[in-house]
Amino acid sequence: MLRRTLAALAATAMLAMPAAAQDFNWRAQEGRTVTLLLNNHPWSQAMRELSTEFTARTGIRVRMEIFNEEQFRARLTTLMQGRSADVDVFMSLPSREGAVFKRAGWYTDLAPLIADRARTAPDFNYEDFGAGMRQQATLDGLVATLPINQEGPLFYWRRDIFQRCGIPEPRFVEDIPEAAAKLRACDANQGVWAARGLRGAIPYALTGFINNLGGSYATPDGKPGLCQPASVRGIEMYANLLKDYGPPGALNHTFTQVIELLGQGRVAMVHESSNEFANIVRFPGRAQDIGVRVLPPGRETGISRPVVIGWGLAISAHSRQRDAAWLFLQWATSTEVQTRLVQNGVAPPRASVFQGPAFTNWTNELPIRRAWADALVEIGRTGTGVYQTPTDRIPEARDIIGNAVQQVVLGRASARDAACAADADLARLQ
Amino acid sequence: MSTTVAADAPMRSARARRRPTASFKWMVIPALLFAAGMIVLPFFWAIWLSAQETMIGGEPRFIGLGNYQRLLADEEFWNGFRLTMLLWLLSLALQLVAGTWLGLLLARSNAARGLVRTVLVSPFMLPPVVIGMMAIVILDPGLGVANWLLARIGLGPLLFLADPGTVMLTVALIDTWQWTPFVALIVLGGYLSLPRDVFEAAEIDGADAWQRFRRVTLPLLAPTLVTAAVLRSVDLLRFFDVIYITTQGGPGQSSTTLNILAYRRGFEFFEFGYAAALMVTLSAIVFGSVLAFARIRRSVAW
Repeated sequence: MLRRTLAALAATAMLAMPAAAQDFNWRAQEGRTVTLLLNNHPWSQAMRELSTEFTARTGIRVRMEIFNEEQFRARLTTLMQGRSADVDVFMSLPSREGAVFKRAGWYTDLAPLIADRARTAPDFNYEDFGAGMRQQATLDGLVATLPINQEGPLFYWRRDIFQRCGIPEPRFVEDIPEAAAKLRACDANQGVWAARGLRGAIPYALTGFINNLGGSYATPDGKPGLCQPASVRGIEMYANLLKDYGPPGALNHTFTQVIELLGQGRVAMVHESSNEFANIVRFPGRAQDIGVRVLPPGRETGISRPVVIGWGLAISAHSRQRDAAWLFLQWATSTEVQTRLVQNGVAPPRASVFQGPAFTNWTNELPIRRAWADALVEIGRTGTGVYQTPTDRIPEARDIIGNAVQQVVLGRASARDAACAADADLARLQ
Repeated sequence: MSTTVAADAPMRSARARRRPTASFKWMVIPALLFAAGMIVLPFFWAIWLSAQETMIGGEPRFIGLGNYQRLLADEEFWNGFRLTMLLWLLSLALQLVAGTWLGLLLARSNAARGLVRTVLVSPFMLPPVVIGMMAIVILDPGLGVANWLLARIGLGPLLFLADPGTVMLTVALIDTWQWTPFVALIVLGGYLSLPRDVFEAAEIDGADAWQRFRRVTLPLLAPTLVTAAVLRSVDLLRFFDVIYITTQGGPGQSSTTLNILAYRRGFEFFEFGYAAALMVTLSAIVFGSVLAFARIRRSVAW
């Protein structure tokens, strides 16, 4: 039903297109093949099916390679380092790797293509993407990617279990450990908490705790700031929740295990990506019994500063199919396609889609969807794409931060000692 | 007439000798070119790369032995070296002991021999990624079946791959599960080719089963066991897949072997020069172990 409604809306949108838009020659690169290198993500999964429609419209064949994130990055690095033309389009997180990839010259600057009236559909409307997302995708004037989603970690909790145990919904981040203790006392057999414990994956989920408790990854003079008292409190809270209330083996967990634990009903609270919403509500009963919101603010600080990032699509600087790839980017980020992607739980980065009838109707069908959409609006407004100390060696910095948290969870160091030791290592990356 | 035959014979034999030599060359040259292109050149390229400081987006800078000096002062390198050696020695010992036992058991058992051998082959025919995914599913302390089974017999729960104290033992056991049958098949082949009369003589002389194993079977099998040890050592020293899939080197650094460390330095942190230095060092360790085993093999040959 929903699929039909969205298809009808998309068809209506097509019919309502101005004549100039319909005149645009989508078949200018007919017969060519574009190769995509994608991270395993709800967007990529949906694209497997949808890309046949691109081929039907343009006559361009699509070859798609999808890998889990680590393997995806390894393959991308190998190909790009070798200046291979085997990849035309790749997914990229400008907030993570933008500076390094730009320095390496791996991105094609999309700005001239966007401005080129002959190559760009008249209804493309680049300004329709949120200003924050356009800013994240632009590196010193170079437009590296077109945004394909927006996401950030959200707080999911089991409303039914909280109700059964007479525990109110956490209003402040400090309420979470208190709720965890009460849940444990209420039902010792019920798992309490899950979040990412795998070293490199930790900072994404940790950052909200540090920020909301008044901490920061940087000192006022731009040095690593984990050792600041408020940052230490954030690390301590995150690590202690994992240590005292987390599932066994949490240090090897990333989003796959976290959503499995929540989906199967084994834990009552998680802090996990908004992206995983569609996967979580696929588990029986979860659409009815979970609540979702942005991580609550600090009680004393009143601060709510979550992480928000957006994946984007980039054209490889070594591509020999740049024009065909640009057609793919335009189509894949179009209003029409983003409207279709909503049903796969991909939060649309285009304002017209986010505020449009299809997305509104979809979110209004279930209260939990509405809550998810509201949370996305909030992280879009208040979020930050920075979740490491100041450096352009971002993956390495996140690894060191994750390692500090692991040391606390393992009981090998206090939060303060681990954070201050990490700051010394992080300073060397500056 | 006979003179003609006699004169022709050496010519024919000379031609015969020349012909295989020429065809031998033509057959060998492509293989040599392939080996040079795919093995020797990349290896020397890695050595060259290990003498550079590389940053994505910047020109590589020649620093001679700088990466090796850095490596010697790097705690992560020494941690990786210790873990690599631990995994090698632990897994090799487990696989040689269990493989010998299983191989000898198979040699004496005729029941469903073909079926048993097929079943035994299956673990090492599985791709490492499948083994890794199986380990994640089975050994997850909360979601996995291993702790559920242990609970049925009143044991556990154990953290397996999530505990820094047990992670390397768990990885060694996963590898042992996969590769013990391989060692067993080598031992079986070696045992079946041994001369029978030696065993009969030992039996007539009154040697009991343990004495026959210790004084006859084991010394005769030694060259076979060394061959198995060489094959497994090369694999174990550069062990990567299962660790990367299951723990990515964690928790903390407790399963970051040299190969994992080099991968992370190269592909996650883009330090290709330093990663190359790590890999060249690891290659030297592998070569060293092969040379050591070659010497041992000569000393146990009979």
